[in-house]
Amino acid sequence: MHEKTRVQYREDLANLEQRGLEGLDMVVTVLDRTLEATQHADIELAELVIADDDRLDGRYLEVHQELITMLATQSPVATDLRLISALLHVMHGIERMGDQCVNIAKLIPITGNEPPADEEMQKRISMMGKQCRALINQAKRAFADRDLEMARDLVRQDDVVDNLNRECFRIAIEIGDDPDRREWAMTMLLAARSLERIGDNAVDIGEQVAYVVTGLFREFEDASHPGEVATVEAQP
Amino acid sequence: MNPAEKVSESPMTEPQREPRAEPASSPRPTIAVAEGQAKATRGRTHRDVGTVRLEGLHAYYGSNHAVRGVDLVFDPNEVTAIIGPSGCGKSTMVRCINRMHEEIPSARAEGKVVLDQIDLYNSAIDVVAVRRSIGMVFQKPNPFPTMSIVDNVTAGLRLTGAPRSEMKERAQDALQSAGLWDEVKDRLNNAGDGLSGGQQQRLCIARALAVDPEVLLMDEPCSALDPVGTLRIEELISQLRERVTIVIVTHNMQQAARVADTTAFMLNGEMVEVGQTEKMFTNPDDDRTEQYVTGKFG
Repeated sequence: MHEKTRVQYREDLANLEQRGLEGLDMVVTVLDRTLEATQHADIELAELVIADDDRLDGRYLEVHQELITMLATQSPVATDLRLISALLHVMHGIERMGDQCVNIAKLIPITGNEPPADEEMQKRISMMGKQCRALINQAKRAFADRDLEMARDLVRQDDVVDNLNRECFRIAIEIGDDPDRREWAMTMLLAARSLERIGDNAVDIGEQVAYVVTGLFREFEDASHPGEVATVEAQP
Repeated sequence: MNPAEKVSESPMTEPQREPRAEPASSPRPTIAVAEGQAKATRGRTHRDVGTVRLEGLHAYYGSNHAVRGVDLVFDPNEVTAIIGPSGCGKSTMVRCINRMHEEIPSARAEGKVVLDQIDLYNSAIDVVAVRRSIGMVFQKPNPFPTMSIVDNVTAGLRLTGAPRSEMKERAQDALQSAGLWDEVKDRLNNAGDGLSGGQQQRLCIARALAVDPEVLLMDEPCSALDPVGTLRIEELISQLRERVTIVIVTHNMQQAARVADTTAFMLNGEMVEVGQTEKMFTNPDDDRTEQYVTGKFG
């Protein structure tokens, strides 16, 4: 009675998960380019980031459609259903992270060729970028390994990004009276904000890992009730 | 037709049951009181009769131990689906509820089946009365082929000695409850086996409902029907849940997910997990349930 069944379906689902999570690798590549373009005010590279977003969107649409087809044709239940639901969220997160990179890339031409950069702020944005990169990789590993601890740890890692973002804000306020420098700082603050959002998207993926593993949807941190852990039971 | 199915068509008589702990002067048998309550609450969403409780139920075919100690409660107002791979004992368990299991030679059951405080395996219980209170619908529609549609519906009623004057009205009520009235009202005297498979199945449901059962057992009621016939029956099940306690055995897990409030998963004669249907299909507790519902074995 315990013979293997639905082998093809199982392979298809595993394959779909892999292709979905590869989207996170694609985001890492895009993020690297975005950071490099920001660091060197490289407008050409920024344009490449913007143009390349179609590839990420393509992966999102493709995997999303196949997940919907699987829901329609295979009637997945239990862990399979939770996995598909989680992957739909993850794909949405991937698409959002790609868009945040595009948002940052669009700021680069605004700052101009040799911007009046503040070294301290630039350093922090660069650190934020690296931390986001680590967060995305960790989210991917946590999902692939169904590792709840690793998923929960994303909140701690994301705090680093949030703190750097606040520091950027402080630096921008104290940047002085030079209008060019102030404009640069305000623009960079938008970039920092986008990176902060990418960190949040990575934490959201962690929450989906928890859902796949436990069947409970938990917001690791609830923005409206900071410090509390919100729990929404997935079942009545 | 197997011997057990024949039994359901055997003559039914008035119930003769042990009186429950009622005032001694109560002029009516307990079961009739219970039925009266059921009628009084009809149309409302809550019934308080029709609870079936299985306690340590074992069933055997000779030396084959088919059901191994099942404890389970079927709530009134609820549809309970029994799922599990072929041969896991789900049909056998359901057949024990209206004592049809024992009709098969060498078959026997142990343990308790309790309907609203009445132990159905008590030696004083009239088996025929049990089957009147607990109706059953089978995989293959089995209308009486030589009888007209209306006679099919009233077959059980006539055997209970219901007054002739009520027959027509009760037949109409049963056919309406079974969602068949509009389709057959102009040909009530035609033969029952001239109907489509889905209609025949609803005719069998009407026949079961006509004697006003408290519980309706359905053993794969849709497996011989086309998709439209299946959906009609499923719709009917959700309408009937206010009137009878429904227990449905099904191989179709999507059907269980669609119609049942509670789902019970059986494996190798044991009850593995019972829970709210939604939970059973999104996040079951037992790994074997997970394996089964996701199709990893079956």
